[in-house]
Amino acid sequence: MNDQPVMVFRDVVKVYPLPAGDVTALDGVSFQVDRGEFISVMGPSGSGKSTLLNLMGCLDTPTSGDIWIGGTRIGDMTDTELTSLRRDRIGFVFQYFNLFPLLNIIENVTFPMMLKTGKGVDPERGKEVLRAVLLDDKLFTHTPTELSGGQQQRVSVARALINNPDILLCDEPTGNLDSKTGDGIMDLMTDLNRKGTTIIMVTHDSHIAEYSRRTIRIADGRIVA
Amino acid sequence: MIFWEIAKRNIRIHLFRSSLAMLGIVIGVVAIASMGILGNTIMLMVSENMNDIGDSVIVSPHAGSGGMFGGGGVGTESLKITEQNFQQIKRAAAPNTAIPVLQTADRMKMGVGSDDIVASIYGLNPDDVPSLMKLSNGSYNRANSGCLVGATFAEDHNVKLGSRISIGTDGSKGTLRVTGIIEERGMSFDVMTDSAIVVTKDWFDTTYNREDYDSVVVKVNNIEEMDKVKTAIENQLNKREKIVDTLDTRKVMEAFTTSLGQVSTFVTAIGGISLIVAGVSILNIMMMSVTERIKEIGIMRSIGAQKKEVMSMFLYEAIILGVVGSAIGGIMSLLGGYAISAGMFKTTKYLFVPTTFITISYAISFGIIICVICGIYPAWRAANLNPIDALRHE
Repeated sequence: MNDQPVMVFRDVVKVYPLPAGDVTALDGVSFQVDRGEFISVMGPSGSGKSTLLNLMGCLDTPTSGDIWIGGTRIGDMTDTELTSLRRDRIGFVFQYFNLFPLLNIIENVTFPMMLKTGKGVDPERGKEVLRAVLLDDKLFTHTPTELSGGQQQRVSVARALINNPDILLCDEPTGNLDSKTGDGIMDLMTDLNRKGTTIIMVTHDSHIAEYSRRTIRIADGRIVA
Repeated sequence: MIFWEIAKRNIRIHLFRSSLAMLGIVIGVVAIASMGILGNTIMLMVSENMNDIGDSVIVSPHAGSGGMFGGGGVGTESLKITEQNFQQIKRAAAPNTAIPVLQTADRMKMGVGSDDIVASIYGLNPDDVPSLMKLSNGSYNRANSGCLVGATFAEDHNVKLGSRISIGTDGSKGTLRVTGIIEERGMSFDVMTDSAIVVTKDWFDTTYNREDYDSVVVKVNNIEEMDKVKTAIENQLNKREKIVDTLDTRKVMEAFTTSLGQVSTFVTAIGGISLIVAGVSILNIMMMSVTERIKEIGIMRSIGAQKKEVMSMFLYEAIILGVVGSAIGGIMSLLGGYAISAGMFKTTKYLFVPTTFITISYAISFGIIICVICGIYPAWRAANLNPIDALRHE
């Protein structure tokens, strides 16, 4: 087992230059995520959660400071390198599921794998992951719009897991679900974490945050707890 | 390939919109290909019609000389080639055949009760006739009592083999019996026989009391020597003053077909404008497609799709629209070309030739290229969207 932290933030600053003046979204943020952790990031609206999530997901680069993902510093990476890093080492779970309506469930799940291999993949691998997130076999060839919200989020989790990422990044994963379905998704997350998946979850719901083992609280661009 | 599959499905899901875009391409390709096919057909028809006279040097009196008889005459009647000039031409052109041509126009009547008409009459030596024209019916005339008639003349005046034609007012110049119908020759520079009659030189000399010729046709055996023959005739006759004009029919044909080709190219280019308009519609539809799918692009980019992969997805759409639209356009232009050829030209023999298929291939290629070019900007725009902004897009 590799003991290296899966993610390290050191004095990360993110400033958005705007015509009305620069806006500092993150101001000297430092933390470390070890393998197998289940962390929730909480904070009020405008606290810098989304900026933090974008940086953790390699969708953006910091203005200053350093970020390491699995030992790789992302600050000087090109767009192509960052995209490859996202594809190979990070799994995204979105609040609104964000599945592709033109693809069926198996195709949606295997999509990141096709990006990685550059060719068609064995649908059995997709089925295997879908079964791991407890999705019924008979739904595999349906399109996303034919599934319930909870089922779609399970597919979204399966898609995030297909390339065996180092980190699962979840943005309000239960924000669009009723509480019962949301609890079902959180049970799934807990189970995945128990099996070794590192999870970072951005949420404003303290009940959902209770499923995590550590909470990072952020306010005005700084970690406060 | 998943992006190819997504492109296909996106077209299928927006079938009506995609079909309209393709319709523009179909119309553009049909416009280009049809104009091209039409130009080719006309060119081939003209070339074939003119081919028979493409091996001649036509010698005619110099129009600006004021006559060849010491400047005596000023009218066209005085512009003739004398027997002496003819002999000089014959020597200069040897071993090629020089054919003297006499020509006039006169009244004639096809039978009792028919109206008088005026038509051209050619006087030719019977030995020279077979080298100038072919017969579709009957036999070559050698007797002074017979004549040949052109195809159009025969059709217009219901003239058949054995019919009698009275020449001059009330047949004052005699009656001739038709021995042969001349095959249609179309446009020509030597003798235009389609609406004329051809008589023997002797009959012509006697009837019209003529000693000089209107023109001389030199049939050149080796087409490569046309320039040489033309120069030899000019050197022989135009040494001191310009007595004759020479016309190299091959050069005229070349100039004519070049001009025709330029007109055809111009008309085809106008057809090309419709394809460019169709390309703008493709650009518009692709931009709509990108705008509608900004969020989807953001998701793809966030989960690891490279810019070039997103770009390829939109380019595939443009290629599919271009290939399908252009292929339909190609097939339709062939069908349209068939209908036009059969309807307008009464023959489809000029349609199934390599140039037709080359023209259609060009039109199809142009259609595809236009689609790809018009797909590049929307595809580039999609690929270069900021993933964060795209993900936030509603």
